[in-house]
Amino acid sequence: MIAGICGGLGARTGLEVVYVRAAFVVLALVWGLGLILYLAAWAATIDLPSIEDSDEPAAAPADRQTHIGAGLLLLAGLILIRSVGVWPGDQVVWPLAAIVFGSAFLLDQRGIDSRDFLTSLVDPGDNSMRRRSIVGVVLLVAGLSIFGSVAVPQIGATILAVLITGVGLSVLFGPWIWRLANDLGAERSERVRQEERAEMAAHLHDSVLQTLALIQRTEDPKRMVTLARGQERELRRWLYDRVPEAGTASLSVLLQSTVDRIEADFDLPIDLVIAGGDLEGDLVGPLVSATGEALTNAAKHSGAGKVSVYAEISTDAVDVWVADQGSGFDVATVAADRRGIADSIVGRVQRHGGTATITSEVGEGTEVHLHFQRQEPQ
Amino acid sequence: MTTVYLVDDHRLFLSGVKSELEGFVEIVGSASDVDDAIEGIRAANPEVVLLDVHMPGGGGLTVIENVVETHPDVRFLALSVSDAAEDVIAMIRAGARGYVTKSITPEELIEAIGRIKAGDAVFSPRLAGFVLDAFADTMSAPIDPELDQLTPREKEVLRQIARGYSYKQVAKRLSISVKTVETHVSAVLRKLQLSNRHELARWASHRRIV
Repeated sequence: MIAGICGGLGARTGLEVVYVRAAFVVLALVWGLGLILYLAAWAATIDLPSIEDSDEPAAAPADRQTHIGAGLLLLAGLILIRSVGVWPGDQVVWPLAAIVFGSAFLLDQRGIDSRDFLTSLVDPGDNSMRRRSIVGVVLLVAGLSIFGSVAVPQIGATILAVLITGVGLSVLFGPWIWRLANDLGAERSERVRQEERAEMAAHLHDSVLQTLALIQRTEDPKRMVTLARGQERELRRWLYDRVPEAGTASLSVLLQSTVDRIEADFDLPIDLVIAGGDLEGDLVGPLVSATGEALTNAAKHSGAGKVSVYAEISTDAVDVWVADQGSGFDVATVAADRRGIADSIVGRVQRHGGTATITSEVGEGTEVHLHFQRQEPQ
Repeated sequence: MTTVYLVDDHRLFLSGVKSELEGFVEIVGSASDVDDAIEGIRAANPEVVLLDVHMPGGGGLTVIENVVETHPDVRFLALSVSDAAEDVIAMIRAGARGYVTKSITPEELIEAIGRIKAGDAVFSPRLAGFVLDAFADTMSAPIDPELDQLTPREKEVLRQIARGYSYKQVAKRLSISVKTVETHVSAVLRKLQLSNRHELARWASHRRIV
């Protein structure tokens, strides 16, 4: 656990790590002998390669006889130490050794799926777990009762019983509950990941794959470009931008959707650039619809290869420019139908307290400038 | 002919740009990842590098930072599909002299390369929008007014660019020479690169969070 000595010993000898640890703990009871041995082993291994790096293969897992043999060796060693005289006393060492090894038996979870712990206890086919558990419980209870009655007689019998039961239960079920909880956590995060993946797949299927299929069936290169542009824009927004909450009607969100719609309707690339903050409230509606009309106008009449929209939102004013570099027209002698559209833009904006300025020159393109003074500067 | 080095992790895009530029500039090399790019640019020592913003292994920013240390004369033009303002501004602040989106036409790209070679700045509408956004009427007083604040004229030029007009059109619309437009734009670029105003940092981090 600390320096990996027990793990290393276990790997070299094939003994189960939990018993090696228990042996060290029991030896530590004899005036710290185990601790000294542990530190000595640590000091000796400091320069040695760890078991993972060394060429020496780990020993095959030891069978039951080897474990029993190792246990008897430990027992012989303890008796030897006792006869030499370095001994804290029979009432201390033996019960504590029983408690330690009882716990070790219960902690030995070899070959058990944590979720099947209870079934493995009653499984007639595999009785090794059951045997280990029974031996463990017997050792634990015996050790605890002897130690309790001998070493701590002043503690009331009831408290002692509660303590024994508590310790026994936690040793018995603790590791199993712990592992179960870990498994549940892992399972939950895996499920979250899967849901995210499913959502992404669904989104890509609804958008990107559909568009790719459409592009494959389209003969018209211009239409292909528009489809690709629209999809690119949508995918990028989905990947990078904040998702607008349902019901929010901010200027940037509505301008973007208007631009997307007109771009798709007229197969015309539109560059949208927004600077400054964002805007919500009464001005958003007239601004978006006037921008939409200006864009539609440009798409229908200008013949330009692309249209630019630039919106600037500052604390005291909102400006939107819609500019194309198409054919343009003479504002003074404009045809009646186009006049009508221009008037509707200007009229709509003026009704809401703003101004719309249309400048155009034949051969130079057209620009519509929408301007609103904001009522309450923030 | 201008010597140009291309850096983009999308090979398809690399070969597309190569064929578009063939005959107009001299392409002295190309790379598809950050380490190759740094090494290749140092070896080829081109006049202009067309640099993708987003790449595995650090992106265009790492390339600029490394090359500028040893080859301060190499000029960079950021070229990307990315719309993330903070990434683009970071590239400009590291030393890129312009930013255009990949939807740029070949003619515009060739013109932009020429401008970069001449030491001018190349502002696409989107970059102009980012800059206006970054400097948008901050209520607090600038720390160093000489350096930090854009002049009304510079803002006006940026607004025209954001509205989709070329430098030549901007010059005509504002009744100034193209050279003056270039001067204004270069001044904005310099302010952007030298500015350490905390508003810019705050703006970038705000963009990232929201």
